[in-house]
Amino acid sequence: MALTLTCPVCGKRNGYEFRYGGEDKGPRPAEEGLTPRAWCDYVHMNTCTVGIQKEWWCHRDGCGAWFTTFRDTTKNLEVKPPEAENGQA
Amino acid sequence: MDRLKQLPTLRINTDEPLTLKYRRKTYRGAAGDTVATALYAGGVRIFGRSLKYHRPRGLYSLDGECSNTCMAVDGIPNVRTENTLLKDGMVVDAQNVKGSANFDWLGFIDKLDWMMPAGFYYKTMHKPAAVWPVAMKQIRKAAGLGVISPDDEMKGRYDEQYLTAEVTVIGGGPAGMAAALAAAESGHRVVLLESRPHLGGCFDYRVTTNGQGTHLYERARELAEQVKQTANIRRFEHAAMVGAYNNNLITAFQVGKAGDGFTERYIEIRSASVVVATGCIERPLLFEHNERPGVMQVGCAHRLARTYGILPGKEAVFSVGHDLGLEAAVDLSDLGVKIACVADIREDGQRPDLLEALAERDIPVLGGWVATHAHGGKTVKKATLSTVEGTVRRQFPCDLLVASAGLTPVSGPFILAQAGMGYDRRTGYFLPTGLPEKMFPAGRITGINDPDAIEASGRLAGLEAAAAAGADVTQAAAAARQAVAALPGPERGCKLVTAPVKGRKSFICFDEDATVKSVKQAIDAGFDVPELVKRYAAVGLGPGQSGIPGHNLPLFVAKYTASTGTPKPTTVRPPLVPTYIATYAGYNHHMFKRTPLHDSQKADGGIFRNIGVWQRARYFSEDFDCKEEILNVRNNVGMLDGSTLGKFRIHGPDALKALQRVYVSDMSKVTEGRIKYSAMCNDDGCVIDDGVVTKLGENDYCFTTSTGRAGQASEWIRYHTRFDNWDFHIVNLTDSMGVINLSGPNARKVLAKAVNIDVSNEAFPFSGYREFFIRETIPVRAMRLGFVGELSYELHVPASYMQTVWDMLKEAGAEFGIRNFGVETQNVLRMEKCHIILGQESEQRTNLLDVGLGFLWDRTKSDAKTVGAVALRQAENDPGRLTLVGIRMADDTRAARDGAIIVDTKVRGYVATMRKSFTTGEAVGMALVESQLAGIDTRLQIFEDECNGELLDARVVPMPFYDPEGERMKL
Ligand SMILES: [Zn+2]
Repeated sequence: MALTLTCPVCGKRNGYEFRYGGEDKGPRPAEEGLTPRAWCDYVHMNTCTVGIQKEWWCHRDGCGAWFTTFRDTTKNLEVKPPEAENGQA
Repeated sequence: MDRLKQLPTLRINTDEPLTLKYRRKTYRGAAGDTVATALYAGGVRIFGRSLKYHRPRGLYSLDGECSNTCMAVDGIPNVRTENTLLKDGMVVDAQNVKGSANFDWLGFIDKLDWMMPAGFYYKTMHKPAAVWPVAMKQIRKAAGLGVISPDDEMKGRYDEQYLTAEVTVIGGGPAGMAAALAAAESGHRVVLLESRPHLGGCFDYRVTTNGQGTHLYERARELAEQVKQTANIRRFEHAAMVGAYNNNLITAFQVGKAGDGFTERYIEIRSASVVVATGCIERPLLFEHNERPGVMQVGCAHRLARTYGILPGKEAVFSVGHDLGLEAAVDLSDLGVKIACVADIREDGQRPDLLEALAERDIPVLGGWVATHAHGGKTVKKATLSTVEGTVRRQFPCDLLVASAGLTPVSGPFILAQAGMGYDRRTGYFLPTGLPEKMFPAGRITGINDPDAIEASGRLAGLEAAAAAGADVTQAAAAARQAVAALPGPERGCKLVTAPVKGRKSFICFDEDATVKSVKQAIDAGFDVPELVKRYAAVGLGPGQSGIPGHNLPLFVAKYTASTGTPKPTTVRPPLVPTYIATYAGYNHHMFKRTPLHDSQKADGGIFRNIGVWQRARYFSEDFDCKEEILNVRNNVGMLDGSTLGKFRIHGPDALKALQRVYVSDMSKVTEGRIKYSAMCNDDGCVIDDGVVTKLGENDYCFTTSTGRAGQASEWIRYHTRFDNWDFHIVNLTDSMGVINLSGPNARKVLAKAVNIDVSNEAFPFSGYREFFIRETIPVRAMRLGFVGELSYELHVPASYMQTVWDMLKEAGAEFGIRNFGVETQNVLRMEKCHIILGQESEQRTNLLDVGLGFLWDRTKSDAKTVGAVALRQAENDPGRLTLVGIRMADDTRAARDGAIIVDTKVRGYVATMRKSFTTGEAVGMALVESQLAGIDTRLQIFEDECNGELLDARVVPMPFYDPEGERMKL
């Protein structure tokens, strides 16, 4: 309940305003040649990182934007992007 | 009893008398009294009886760390009367007594303690098994705190408040006030929480002086005045902190005072940094009958006199381990209590001025002595003191035994904030080994006791907290650090836990009647760490939340097990202080949305039900089978308020791409002037929504969703296009537009009277979409649908015009006998047509193919990466799925219930919807069954609760049951 998240539009807000959208797994794979196994893995398999994880959140009770952020899953706190990610953000 | 009315330290206003009723007697108190102090002033010494042994219990700490003074107040059980301010006319009653608190018929149980060793329930109450229920009944009658009736309704207003600040200060004593003032200097917003009804803490009632010669109580009032004058400090009195979470989120609850708009208020504070200035409570001294009424802690006795103007007793014996005890003895002596003797656990190290003051008053002080026994059947009559080693004993008559082993910090906030806790050998305190981020301790919690040091440490912590919240206070902090260094630091604390006694009646936990002896039994039984003892012997699991045993238990366990490691405290969890569930719940429990037609639907006799977030008219008569409503739509014309339907506009260059992504059909075929029915699936191919889509213009579409999905539709589409950077906008029109469903063979005649467009079947055919104005003013989006299976118009109207249009149609339809129909009628009508409602004919695992909507799926648009398409392709050849079928009961008078299961030797499916159809006279419905059972005429057997073990017969029949050619909706 103590989580806060930083919406790119609205700024830092109470975590209750957001909906979790899962780990960031990249865009949907192309359908051509997709095996059932690969598809299920994309949809259902998670890495469940212990530590800092990039994930999707929706500012449901705010502007409605979907965005990615980094969260330390051991503390349930939003954290700054790791060094390697800085270029992308 | 006459109150001491002239003391400058008083927190009661004797000019404002209040009364309360207890056992048909009226007690007088004053504004500022707690329920407990008013009773004490009226001579009440026994407040209730203990949980297990029915021992008499009285005032002990005055801060509610035990259940001793829990009583039923105005019908609410387990109210901590020492924390509850007196209100005029309160009615209180004692708890867990048979008879009265003074004479309890169950008092004899105390003598039977030898029958109930630790773990007695676990060991004895399981065999023989037949005895257990009987025994349990008797135990429940005899034990337990408070009685609640299931019919009780909590009265009062329970509010909530969410605050943001830079600095939160927990504790409104001298350290907390100094911290708040220091933090506020930089302009930061500061929240100050104090659990007592007034600021002041350990200064509030003391007449000794600080380094400047100011009385401590005066200093407390000076600081409180400064706090009140500081605009950026928000202070909350009578607000106990109950939780600390990461990000320094602090929760508290505040008790409302006279004139407040709330009874209790939940407070949640987000701040950058936190100062913990919660101070100390006293560590109980363990000796025989250490909880006999008349035994109380130092602060309790001192505050009774100084804060409430009540002399706690006539003749007192002190057994203490801390200078505060000596200070209280001097002060109480001056106020008129005869002090027979002061036993100090410490041989030396006392403040010399206090020893001098005691000597001046001829009060004997025994160094290295401790109380071993409180005598007296119900209240204290006599005390036995002994040397700490137990070699020499002396007895003193007394009616008050002030006993305290020392101090213990209120470290709950640190434990909740996940700080590691360690034993500090100097102070004898459990203190955090590392501080949580941006959390700063201040005041007595750090082991200091010097008044100036307390304030200085508060000021330093306040500045550090301000700095952690972004203020530049480098210089001020450096000065504050110097000031702290120049003042006395943490003092050596007394370490003694128990007097030299066996401990059969030495209570380590009052709430659950756990004695030193029972703790020894638990340890001997192998439960040799505090966390295990706590649960096995029930120590600190009661309402006091470990306030009494929290410190003593780990120390005692370490001693008794001859542990060489450092003692570890047991953990605490929120709420740190018992809180009404009502306070957490708040007051607004009944939230729903109303359609624009709510009032007129109600006036028309609508019977409402909560459906999702809405209230909807489900029936329009007491006949919940809705026969007349149904037949009126089938044979004439009816109107339904369908405003809850999800309504959206999507537009922009990539709008079509987004639709292609989420809808299973080929949305490029959606054209202007026509509607297209389609569905959405999730990534597993399971169908989540259906609705219609139409094209308004270039890159501009409208679509509807089911009522339940309206709240998530935008989010869903955005989620599934989140990597694509497409340019489109979604507008949720659900609340701004209402929907009127006009259905029945006479619907066209009604509509024609109300609008001036051509509504003939040629000009406005089935599946058509038209936009027009009524009276050149009201914009209407109209579509011809067939959900209920009749000629039907769905009119989307701006919410503010809904009532007007509704009334126009009603007037136009009067000559045909138009009438309302509700959601249940719609449900039956569409069921007869086998039009599904998602969530009713589907559940989480049901995919598009299962419910027979496979025809909607367009397989040629794989480039669109349609959500669910991959899974549907994989599910196509899966034989193990359920299939939606029509079923008819063998007995047409006996429709199975929605949700009844279809069985043979195992469960093979379930009934989705079933009703007696008035149109066909048959009991028909839809069911999801294993695909092997889906063939027409397959016999099915249905089980439901009401079938008394006789399975009901049914068979699979063709769908739909009404108008199979679908001619009527195209009329
Ligand atoms: Zn936002």
